[in-house]
Amino acid sequence: MTRWVAPAAYLLGIGWYIAICILLGVFIGRWVDEATGLKPTFTLIGIVLGLLVAVIGGARMVLRVTRRFGGDTWKE
Amino acid sequence: MKRVKILAWVVGIIIWLAIGFLIARGPQPELVVPGEKLWQVGPLKITNTLFTAWISMIIIIVIAYFGTRSMKLLPTGFQNFIEAGFSYVFDQIVEIAGDKNGRRFFTLTATIFFFICIANWIALLPVFNAIGITEDVGHEVFHELSSSDPDKLKLADNGTYEEDHKFAGTKLDSAGGAFVIKNGAKSLDFTVNPGETPAQAADRYYVFLAEKFADFELPEGASVEQPQDASTVKAAADALKADPDAPQLMTSGGEHGIESPGLGETITGVDFSNSQRFGTVIPLFRSAFADVSNTLAIAIVSFIMVEFWGIQSLGIGYLRKFFDFSSPINFFVGFLELISEFVRIISFTFRLFGNLFGGEVLIVMITYIVPFLLVDIVYGMELFFGFIQAAIFALLTLVFAVMATESHGEEGHAEGSDDHRAPEPGASGLPQGAAQVH
Repeated sequence: MTRWVAPAAYLLGIGWYIAICILLGVFIGRWVDEATGLKPTFTLIGIVLGLLVAVIGGARMVLRVTRRFGGDTWKE
Repeated sequence: MKRVKILAWVVGIIIWLAIGFLIARGPQPELVVPGEKLWQVGPLKITNTLFTAWISMIIIIVIAYFGTRSMKLLPTGFQNFIEAGFSYVFDQIVEIAGDKNGRRFFTLTATIFFFICIANWIALLPVFNAIGITEDVGHEVFHELSSSDPDKLKLADNGTYEEDHKFAGTKLDSAGGAFVIKNGAKSLDFTVNPGETPAQAADRYYVFLAEKFADFELPEGASVEQPQDASTVKAAADALKADPDAPQLMTSGGEHGIESPGLGETITGVDFSNSQRFGTVIPLFRSAFADVSNTLAIAIVSFIMVEFWGIQSLGIGYLRKFFDFSSPINFFVGFLELISEFVRIISFTFRLFGNLFGGEVLIVMITYIVPFLLVDIVYGMELFFGFIQAAIFALLTLVFAVMATESHGEEGHAEGSDDHRAPEPGASGLPQGAAQVH
């Protein structure tokens, strides 16, 4: 059982990470927009930054899993 | 022959479901997301979810006490059962985290696992979401409207309400602290709108009471939600007066009064003594982790302990993973690590909350719609999910703890090469393939 637990745990987090990064970007952007009154500007910046962080971070996480558990070590 | 048998089964099941649907349907559920307040001790609100969490703790303490009261070297009976469960969990943890770290992480991880699992499983008992204490919503509405210092309805400077507020309840035979089984009446809502003065809202409240309790019919096209003109309020008050089984408007006595522009007199209270109450049942027991506050609490504990273990193992160097100023790229990577660390709290919180709240809603709704057979399947599923979610929470805490205690410097030689895979678990403690890690 333990052989797949660690990679599974890594992978479980990735979806959440991507979703929350994008949402966080949108909400922080919206909040800054409300505060400054520059309606769509910071929301758009937030979306782009959120996507960027989500994609790069997500890719890093996936790469880490494949590098660490890749190959035939946990196949059996 | 075989066909006939299958057909008989299918027909039997459909009839069984139909009987449930037509006769044995449960009460229409009201779905409430936050835990509901049962009692208040000083500033601390004791919600039903917190109360259930305490009950699960007591159950765990009692089991642990009786399981270890008369310890024998060769365990029998209850002690044997407890030990088997514990040693299974312990073996799994040691296998993932290694012997030294496994012992260090065992206490928290196993506590989280047993706590969540027990809390999820007792939430499947039939008393959950069924019995509760009652609250008198009818009196609360009048108190809030007539009070100069309302608790839930905030008054703006111009004397109107700032925000809307919904008072929800059902028709109850008695209300005000008694324990009753959740009744099956349709829920009634009275909403106070923003921009309304207390007097206008009170007039609407009288119309609302007349409509719900005295069979008063509003004129064509009108609704309780809209402002009421004087004639409608007058007619509603007359309807209430004419019906002895309806709540009565009092013009004397009572704590506060509120002048009614529609009626032209001051109403000092609503007397429900001869009528059904406008009340609500607050379930005494609700699944502890169907409340974000409780899941967030455990997620924060897990987060803090993981960071603590990381700093304990690697010293201040642990923080270098997040704040690396050696180059802009490394700084960005550290920033990503920092975000993923905090995202973990959110994902822990909402994974557990989502699964268990969803399960609770599913059980309540299925009991309402199809009380037979389907409910049993859902119950079985929830039994499984309760266990799985507890295991996921505990295992993720464990894996993150293992990751946090690993030295960051090993990253270099883990990359790309397969032949460093030591047969024995390394300092990191992850088994074999996982031994060299970043």
